[in-house]
Amino acid sequence: MSTASSDSRRAFDTEALPHLDTVYRVALRLAGDQSDAEELTQETMLKAYRSWHQYKSGTNVTAWLLTILRHTFINQYRKAKRTGPTVDVDQIESYTVFHQVQEVDPEGRFFEQIVDEEVLRAIDELPEEFRETLVLSDIEQLSYAEISDITAVPIGTVKSRLFRARQALQKVLYDYAIEMGYIKRVER
Amino acid sequence: MKPPQTIDCHAAATQLYEYLDGELTAEVEAAVRGHLADCAVCFKLFEFEQAYLAFLRARTRARAAPDHLRRQVFESVLYDKDRTKSE
Repeated sequence: MSTASSDSRRAFDTEALPHLDTVYRVALRLAGDQSDAEELTQETMLKAYRSWHQYKSGTNVTAWLLTILRHTFINQYRKAKRTGPTVDVDQIESYTVFHQVQEVDPEGRFFEQIVDEEVLRAIDELPEEFRETLVLSDIEQLSYAEISDITAVPIGTVKSRLFRARQALQKVLYDYAIEMGYIKRVER
Repeated sequence: MKPPQTIDCHAAATQLYEYLDGELTAEVEAAVRGHLADCAVCFKLFEFEQAYLAFLRARTRARAAPDHLRRQVFESVLYDKDRTKSE
């Protein structure tokens, strides 16, 4: 028994632990707070370790870990938190920012002046299901199929959430860039 | 071989992110690419959105788990008692 256990321990160390950064980054954006994110990461990794025998070697370990993370978050951390402002994604029209800037900055150079912290703050203002989809796609580079598995919604829903999340975020960052004087508002 | 499909600006715009994310079938991807080669307006829109996605990646990717957390996770796994019980 000790051999079987140390084998699976080794397998967990080699296959799961290297994804700790991914788990932590997603936890940070879900929980919105460093200490909750650390606790959530810790708990996710421990749960993953305890159910390591359920993981099928060679399958997608990132998706498996992130599914555990998501369930842990929903069951234990979601409530009460996150009362800050959220962006209204229903008001979003397609490619508004490009249409506004196409004559003055068609390459989107103004984005380059916006710092990391501001981008993360804006992501944190997205409603949860949109934020989660955008984080899995744009920060963690997962495919639509992987995001669909993790978030338990059809691929069509992933696509529409991702579209609206990206466009809503772009609008928030554009308004911020105008406010900071990185780009001039064009009246159209 | 079938001739490549042709699509208009609206159809191209609805596939924009799927195209940039590499999520389209080869056939639809070729149709979008064909449209972009002919339409300067859509080409600029796609370039703008591509720059935006590259910017998002660059601004958000750097964070790693703090060392103390890495240590805690490592230790909690190492000294976990419940695991051996459940095996």
